[in-house]
Amino acid sequence: MRILVVEDDEIAAEYVRKGLMEAGHVVDLAHDGELGLEMAKAADYDALVLDRMLPKRDGLSLLRALREDGDATPVLILSALGEVDQKVEGLRAGGDDYLAKPYSFTELLARVEAIGRRSDPTAAVTKLKAGDLEMDLLARTVRRAGQNILLQPREFRLLECLMRHTGKVVTRTMLLEKVWDYHFDPQTNVIDVHISRLRAKIDKDFDLPILHTVRGAGYRLQV
Amino acid sequence: MFASVRRLFNNTIFRLSMIAASLFAFSSLVVLGYIYVATVSVEIINIDNRLKQELDEIEAMYLEKGGDYTNKQIIHRMRPGQGTMYVYVHNNDFTSNIAFKPQLDGEPERGRPFQFVYNATNDTNPNAQAQIHRARARARFMGRTGYILVARDVELIMTTAERVTRALLISIAIALSLGLISGIYVSRRFARRVDAFNKLATDIRAGDLKRRAPRDHSGDELDDLAGHLNEMLDHIDRLMQAMRYAGDSIAHDLRSPLTRLQTRLEGASAAVKDKASRTVLLEASDDASQLLRTFEAVLRIARLETGERREMLVALDPRALLEDIAELYGPSCEEAGHVFRLEIEGKHQLRADRGLLSQAVSNLVENAIKYTPKGGGIILSLRKVKSGRTEISVTDTGPGIPAGDRGRVKERFVRLEESRTAPGSGLGLALVDAVADLHRAQLELSDGNPSEEHPLVGLRAALIFPKFKRS
Repeated sequence: MRILVVEDDEIAAEYVRKGLMEAGHVVDLAHDGELGLEMAKAADYDALVLDRMLPKRDGLSLLRALREDGDATPVLILSALGEVDQKVEGLRAGGDDYLAKPYSFTELLARVEAIGRRSDPTAAVTKLKAGDLEMDLLARTVRRAGQNILLQPREFRLLECLMRHTGKVVTRTMLLEKVWDYHFDPQTNVIDVHISRLRAKIDKDFDLPILHTVRGAGYRLQV
Repeated sequence: MFASVRRLFNNTIFRLSMIAASLFAFSSLVVLGYIYVATVSVEIINIDNRLKQELDEIEAMYLEKGGDYTNKQIIHRMRPGQGTMYVYVHNNDFTSNIAFKPQLDGEPERGRPFQFVYNATNDTNPNAQAQIHRARARARFMGRTGYILVARDVELIMTTAERVTRALLISIAIALSLGLISGIYVSRRFARRVDAFNKLATDIRAGDLKRRAPRDHSGDELDDLAGHLNEMLDHIDRLMQAMRYAGDSIAHDLRSPLTRLQTRLEGASAAVKDKASRTVLLEASDDASQLLRTFEAVLRIARLETGERREMLVALDPRALLEDIAELYGPSCEEAGHVFRLEIEGKHQLRADRGLLSQAVSNLVENAIKYTPKGGGIILSLRKVKSGRTEISVTDTGPGIPAGDRGRVKERFVRLEESRTAPGSGLGLALVDAVADLHRAQLELSDGNPSEEHPLVGLRAALIFPKFKRS
């Protein structure tokens, strides 16, 4: 993906750039809001990583200007202001996801890849597929290798979230946000317990495991 | 009714306006009295004096010239247009120009002026409507058998006086009732404005710093007061914002380098091949995250304590919220070897923030999981307690908290000796308490329900919400 990172902290921006490039993306940097807006308008990016507090023009104002211009490039907002209401404010201004500082780079990478243009998790599909695992979103059924798998509603949503990002890391925080709609970090391994239950249903009786744990990051559905 | 009248009399402005109305009524009465004396009384005294003068003249005439002469003179005086009325009785003579024979009842002896009524109709027209007039008279004996009475019509003076009096009395009555009405009106208005100030103070104290006193720009004292209050509130608001801005800036400034530190450690750990070094780097990275999480939790509590988010509370059914929490934590409880139960009694509605309340309840559940020895029981319960208040509680079979420490553990960074070894920052209950405060709920800690199976005291942490009010 071609990604524009708008961040005034040059060291942080450089780290993000390096990390994203290592993950196989093309990255441009802008260190203030004005330049960021110019660059976003000039080129066709697949995703934008946008800091909220920027010199010359703050992140939300940049985002609004972009949206008013009819530009629908997916945007991940970064901010030290991690409160839920500010998150809501950011999403309302047209952001696609919101990540509060401090974040780990894996979290940022997972989220950027999740919103990026080439993977559209909100696309109106009715069937999801990952190897021999199939999910019918209308009939609410899951089959693996032609065998029906019964899931609880929450397990279904958990699997749906993972399948929409097949091949990519989905972090625990992302799961908690997208599946449970909670925006806080639990102190316990609560997500792991749910994942291990899901794993028992979709992996246990089959030869090839497809639900993997990525150490220090989260989970990945990989065929 | 009685209460509202009492409230009215407790109102300063109403009392002041009543005093003003009473003073006005009293001074009107004084003015009325003065007008009466200055017009009617003076006039009557003049008439009385003139009547006395005339009687003196006639008496002198009688004593000098005798009864017949006097009679003639009186008849002479009775010419039309003179305005004086006479009654003269002497021996068998009776001379009068009034169609009335006054009952004298000893008046001549006393010689005092007196009042009587007579028919003032003109004699020449017998069909005319009788006109009863008042007259002022004096009488005096003439010799043994006779007397003389002189009188003057005072009807005009008296009716004028009566009219003026009536008008003044009515105007006093009107002034009093207008005073009462305007007193009620003004005092209500005043009470409303003062109530607005009281409500403002309550709201501000509750954390709604955006509220301002209503102004009508009339420039009166209350409006001035409102203006000054608003300026003061603006000032406080600016200070608060400056403080928040400073906090945010610190958060921004500190988190960025800490994030970099963490990212560097993370990156380094991925690059290092040596397993031992990598473990150290990963642990350092985890420590950095823990540091940042603690910092964030402190900021979060500080923000909650301003009460700003109270206006964002919405009516919700806690049942669904607890079912979600139970669904999230049930498996973790089972994994830790505990029996987990969700108990819901009755219908409930709360004014709450789903995210914050979920976090508070999940903190309580996580505490229960953390401190309860394997094989314990955890109960998440929703029920009504006294006076229709809703209570959400988490009861465990862990070691509990000694009664003396229950207030202390709600403070930031307070961790009991027994739990020092367990992971945690000592901010969990402080956050729950701050969330409770935001919801105007109470966080109550008490003993659990020890039993044969679970001999430990246990802890029962309950959030008790105020009665739901439709807004």
